[in-house]
Amino acid sequence: MTAPTVTRPRFGALRDIGSGMAAVGVKELRGRMRGRRAFVILTIHLLLVAGFAWMIESLAERAYSGGFNSSFSASSEIGRQLFMGIILLLTLITLILAPASTAGAISLEREKQTLDLLTTTPISSLAIVLGKLLSALSWILLLLLASIPVVALVFTFGGVGPDDVVKAYVVLLGTAFAYGAIGLFVSALVRRTQAATVINLVAVIVLTAGTAFVFIFWTAMTGSSGFLPDQTGTRDGVVESLTKRPPEALMWFNPFVAQVDVMCGTETGFGTSCQIIAGITNEAGFLNGVSNPVGNDFGAPKDTYWPVSLAAMLGTALILIVLSVQLVSPTRRWRIRLPRPRRRAAGSEA
Amino acid sequence: MTSIVRATGLVKRYDKTLAVAGLDLDIAAGEIFGLVGPNGAGKTTTLRILATLLVPDRGDAEIAGASVRRNPNDVRRVLGFMPDSFGVYDDMKVWEYLDFFARCYGIPAERRRRTIGDLLELVDLGAKRDVYVQGLSRGMQQRLCLAHTLVHDPQVLLLDEPASGLDPRARVELRELLRELRSLGKTILVSSHILPELEELCTSVAIIDRGQVLAHGKVAEIEKRLRVGAILRARVLGGSEEHEAARAWFATQQDVVTADLLDDGTVEIGFHGDDDGSARLLADAVGAGLRVASFARAASDLEELFLQVTAPPPVPAEAVA
Repeated sequence: MTAPTVTRPRFGALRDIGSGMAAVGVKELRGRMRGRRAFVILTIHLLLVAGFAWMIESLAERAYSGGFNSSFSASSEIGRQLFMGIILLLTLITLILAPASTAGAISLEREKQTLDLLTTTPISSLAIVLGKLLSALSWILLLLLASIPVVALVFTFGGVGPDDVVKAYVVLLGTAFAYGAIGLFVSALVRRTQAATVINLVAVIVLTAGTAFVFIFWTAMTGSSGFLPDQTGTRDGVVESLTKRPPEALMWFNPFVAQVDVMCGTETGFGTSCQIIAGITNEAGFLNGVSNPVGNDFGAPKDTYWPVSLAAMLGTALILIVLSVQLVSPTRRWRIRLPRPRRRAAGSEA
Repeated sequence: MTSIVRATGLVKRYDKTLAVAGLDLDIAAGEIFGLVGPNGAGKTTTLRILATLLVPDRGDAEIAGASVRRNPNDVRRVLGFMPDSFGVYDDMKVWEYLDFFARCYGIPAERRRRTIGDLLELVDLGAKRDVYVQGLSRGMQQRLCLAHTLVHDPQVLLLDEPASGLDPRARVELRELLRELRSLGKTILVSSHILPELEELCTSVAIIDRGQVLAHGKVAEIEKRLRVGAILRARVLGGSEEHEAARAWFATQQDVVTADLLDDGTVEIGFHGDDDGSARLLADAVGAGLRVASFARAASDLEELFLQVTAPPPVPAEAVA
């Protein structure tokens, strides 16, 4: 028998993962950036963001023009509204594009029958999954970075600091990572790209609009203090069991709420954004008009919700990446084996 | 000669179907080894186990000393695998396709450039270097896929039905390419349904059915072991009387088991002798005054072996009754 010709260098595994990710990433980016498609999408994206910013700025300027409002505080209010509008639009774009970019990552390989060619190379499943995810994220990152000049317009109005912009972009990147990981997991789980795309879209709707709807409904039914007024009246059935407030965790995967918390940082502590966050986190002190029991600041505590939301999204993303690796791996997939009833041959113990 | 592929007691089950049932293989380095079997015999499953795409339920296989169970990554570094049905990436040029796989094996940039050029020349796609992969013909894609299996200079190639879907010219080209690869020192394990091609190409074969190896070795050795006969076809000139006379003459000769007259006047002879015997039979026929226009084996040896080895066992008389 001939001896294996394989030699293992020190830190070989890490280097293999790195080179594998680079191989997959380069291939994916070559395909993604080839031709006019990428540049057309980038142009449309910038036109959309810039056009939206212009509309918000025009509306806000009209609302705050003249009289008392034409002051320094009015300018900063325009800046805050502009910032909120652009960041929420970028969040929406990220929520749509991140899972869409990864929806076909694995399922297309299966459909085109190229996954076997890939998995018989020494490249690890982890490198395949991370390479595909990071190439999709680098595309989203390019779109987000390209929008920075538009976002920077808010500095001409004031009301928003550079740290607020950095926080908003951190949440945007976290959102892209988490929802990209969701798209990748669905792509690894489902054999057809079309089905994966539909499931991803449904997942985005459920995790954003769905959770918001459930939260509002739950809050209203419990009649607890929140950002909706107390509800009174008769309740029955399932609704009767809703005696406690909805958990804050219900909204952790909704990046719009995390961005609203970032907006809260630009307010005095009693603005609309802070009210929404206080309603979700049930900051009773704030809602009753007394000082924050935790901090010394007056109003809602700042920068407490979005880091938790971001951590929850990233933690879930890591779990989904591990599961995706197992689904891609041809030999290491976890299989749940249910015990089967033993068949006993008739008249025989053997 | 040292063995480079060795499988011992491989078992693979899909739910209730036993795809591979205790399969053993032993392939010497430098061979072109044919895996022959009917549909569902377990050829593809065996190749996928060897390619580390499936884990056997029992048994193990070693390629160049690395176990497919314990060291799948080591196995992947010493083999190239071309599946039965393979796809190609869209939006990729021919050189980019090979470059991608070369990167997957961690080949440095300078060596990558050289290897890609050499491989494209080897598979005769040098002129198509900057063409998009989806623009290639099926035969060219097949050759490109074969080239991708060679980017890391593997010792062993596993080719699952490499000639399927190819026109006759492309098949001949593929056959020549495999011979060239053998001359470069590669060990090639190839499965195919096209038995005459395998017979011409392979140095050894394994006939498998129902997940087990039924016969294993060089075609001539298996033939000798099984003492299998041949079907000879003799076309004799003349009318129906001459044809019938020829059939009657052949039926009385030594080593002839059967002699039947076909519709076109050809005599089909079930012959149990060796090549010397068939040469003697032809000489005797001509000497006996038969006007023999053609005299040849009706089918390849491998086909005969295959049919004999994979034939269902005869049903006992009492079972029929």
